[in-house]
Amino acid sequence: MRFIFLFFLLIFKNLDAFEYKNLKTNSGIEFWFVEDKSIPIVSVSFSFRGGSSIDIKDKNGVSNLMTSLLDEGTRNLTSKQFKNEMKMNGMKLSFSTQKDKIDGVFQIISAQAKDGFDLFYEALNHPSFNEVDINRVKRQVISSIKIDESDLSTLASNKFNQHFFNDHVFSNNIKGSEESIKKITRTDLVNFHKRSFVKNNLVIGVAGNINVNKIKKYIEHVFGELKDNQQNYSIKQFKALSVGQKFFEMKTPQSSVLFGHPGLERNNENFFALRIANYILGGGGFQSRLYKNVREKKGLVYSIYSYLLSYENDGVIVGGFQTRNKSVFETIENVKNEWKKLNKRGITKSELDNAKAYFNGSFTRNFTSTLSIARLLQVVQYYELGADYFIKREKIINSLNLEKVNGIISEYFSNEKLFFMIVGEPEKK
Amino acid sequence: MKIVGILFILLFCFESKSNINFNAKSTTLENGLRLIVVENPRAPVVAQMMWYNFGSNIEQRGKSGLAHFMEHLMFKGTKKFPNSYYSDYLSKIGGSENAFTSYDYTAYYQIFPSQHLEKIIELEADRMNNLTLTKKNVEIEKKVILEERFQRIESNPSAQLDESIRTVLFPNDYYGRPIIGWKHEIENLSYDDVIDFYKENYNPNNAILILSGDIKFKNAKKLVNKYYKSIKPSQKIKLNKLDNPDLKTSTNVELSNENVKQQIWKRIYRTKSYNDSITQSIALDLGMKILAGGTSSLLYEEFVNKKKIFSMVGGFFQGLTKGNGYIYFYAIPNKKVEQFEISDMLDNFIVQAIDEGISEEKLILEKKKYYFDSIYGMDGILKPAEIIGEALTIGLSLDDIENWNDKLDEINLEMVKKELKEFSKNRNFVTGNLKN
Repeated sequence: MRFIFLFFLLIFKNLDAFEYKNLKTNSGIEFWFVEDKSIPIVSVSFSFRGGSSIDIKDKNGVSNLMTSLLDEGTRNLTSKQFKNEMKMNGMKLSFSTQKDKIDGVFQIISAQAKDGFDLFYEALNHPSFNEVDINRVKRQVISSIKIDESDLSTLASNKFNQHFFNDHVFSNNIKGSEESIKKITRTDLVNFHKRSFVKNNLVIGVAGNINVNKIKKYIEHVFGELKDNQQNYSIKQFKALSVGQKFFEMKTPQSSVLFGHPGLERNNENFFALRIANYILGGGGFQSRLYKNVREKKGLVYSIYSYLLSYENDGVIVGGFQTRNKSVFETIENVKNEWKKLNKRGITKSELDNAKAYFNGSFTRNFTSTLSIARLLQVVQYYELGADYFIKREKIINSLNLEKVNGIISEYFSNEKLFFMIVGEPEKK
Repeated sequence: MKIVGILFILLFCFESKSNINFNAKSTTLENGLRLIVVENPRAPVVAQMMWYNFGSNIEQRGKSGLAHFMEHLMFKGTKKFPNSYYSDYLSKIGGSENAFTSYDYTAYYQIFPSQHLEKIIELEADRMNNLTLTKKNVEIEKKVILEERFQRIESNPSAQLDESIRTVLFPNDYYGRPIIGWKHEIENLSYDDVIDFYKENYNPNNAILILSGDIKFKNAKKLVNKYYKSIKPSQKIKLNKLDNPDLKTSTNVELSNENVKQQIWKRIYRTKSYNDSITQSIALDLGMKILAGGTSSLLYEEFVNKKKIFSMVGGFFQGLTKGNGYIYFYAIPNKKVEQFEISDMLDNFIVQAIDEGISEEKLILEKKKYYFDSIYGMDGILKPAEIIGEALTIGLSLDDIENWNDKLDEINLEMVKKELKEFSKNRNFVTGNLKN
């Protein structure tokens, strides 16, 4: 790579200096941008609210199928031609359907920006949705559903969603089923595409080596033709999360267990307190109580974790582990006990201080690549954390004291609200 | 999650070919420790990677899994910094860490705010020499590792099939043994095995320390010298280099499991590596990309688009290895097809495709992509350390890495075809079938 000269800029030397621009294109599309000249790449992270939560009734998986077809050709280019153009320009484009949104990433070598953004425009606005391509991708999705069904941990995760979220739309499999995939028509895909990709549900973050005028022009080119539909794709609250346990038999030497518990929406004022509590319970890598007590002290599992899934209007805490069939119920007891202990006795001052130090110190890791910067800019907008979030964040963390966090813990955490999905052949106690 | 290398390698081979001017600076301490620094002050963050130039390849027969076991135990603490002090410290400063073991190397890494550089260097140096383990530590961690083996292999039919293919393909060397170890051998690993392994191999002259990010070479040199210079070198690792015999039989292995809902056909070939020749390996890699890489390959075009027999088909070359490299192929049929039928179809097509399908145009495209990927490889601070560390531990030089694209430029159609022709005559392969 001798042709490339690197000009490293000291733009992120300290947090106060992390400055992004809030830009607006001619037609009024707003996006956040950081000009980063350290590498000749432009990264765009974008997101449309909706995702599989707005799948067509009885046609689950339509969002995932639609996004899987977006690099399969445009009005001008066949699937093969489009993929060759991507290679020629060093362009990366990927879409992924989530439960509440469609996430996308576009990356381009700066020198190829013009052609790259044009290909991006074509893929987003004028996908061909050819019957031949549709049928091929359908077969691929069906294979991947079957592979998921053969895989202990993926199967357990799908069973967990199905039984934990109950009649909420989140209980559906993002990929759909063999049956539902077969029902989806080209018209469904075209309509769903139109319904998903609308301006009012879009957020964008950009970072990389490109100037303000150019990036405004390109963002306008790619997203400018999208319509507003003023529909609200917000996720409904989880009114009936399951408790207790559910079992699904699979003949394997280990069982996979997933557990769930109510959480909080991302925008809730108590979110950070909950995040700290979860970090201490099961979130913090090799430090968490679950890791230390279930893995390090007892050797029952290779991996055990919990994390927050927080959406716009609600959230959950999800965790999991795999263990030999003979120790399934012993491990579940351990998880329940940790939950109980947390609820009764809360966390200690030193645990709180460590967790706060972690969250303050880890933030700069977001600034190490153009893609991670673009993602950060996008996520902060998606959850409406505020234009001043980068300054505010440290204050929010530092304002949390032991009394406050423990108050929130005793209010939210309860082992009575836990739900366990067990897949395998657990031995009864 | 302290992971084993198998999966990692699969992921790695898609990105690690990137090369490039990292402008890496290098020095070697008197005790043999090599230090590499990639300066990149874009964000106040440093990635530290400690690469040991051994993995499961130095395990004695009967002690499979020992290198990976040792990797887990490296987190337990030392005299001066006991009880997971290192991990606790890292989390307090907002850092992250992990480690992995492969056949040819073992690596530990941390990403953390740069103001804590000195302490992290001290902690990594400390655990090279001063680990304190109790018998209890070892026994509990053994249970964890057995759970890990059960999670990765025993509960995963596809991984069991891969394990079986490798034992047949590499009958005489360590590539035929699972990195995580055989269950019965893990069960018999003892406290003494671990202590001996540690003392014998965890030495500065078997190690490469890479620091990447917001750090200056001069400062790095000073600090690394301060904390490592007192550590005495020891014997260099003894690698008992064994070759595998040519396979005289064609071997098909099959795994039938009631949980399998989708048939998968696989094949692994024993091949050359970048250690044999970088240029030839790049040519082979490019050829494999044209033939079998991604969704615009010749195989995909024929069997997914045209004949519609498979929903996916592909393959790749992984040659960043001390010994043999390998080529991995897989096919996912839309409907049940006999194993031998798939093998025949692919064999016939590959011969024909090498003759007729490898064009100048396709090569230019793959070379472009290869070149652009190398630029993406520089966006971040961990990736350069990964690329350099893997290449150096398997035996390549820093110059090899920095001049990689010169070699890429040299590749022409003839060279690619030559490599693919050689590949099509390779009889050292084992075919596997995963079915219900």
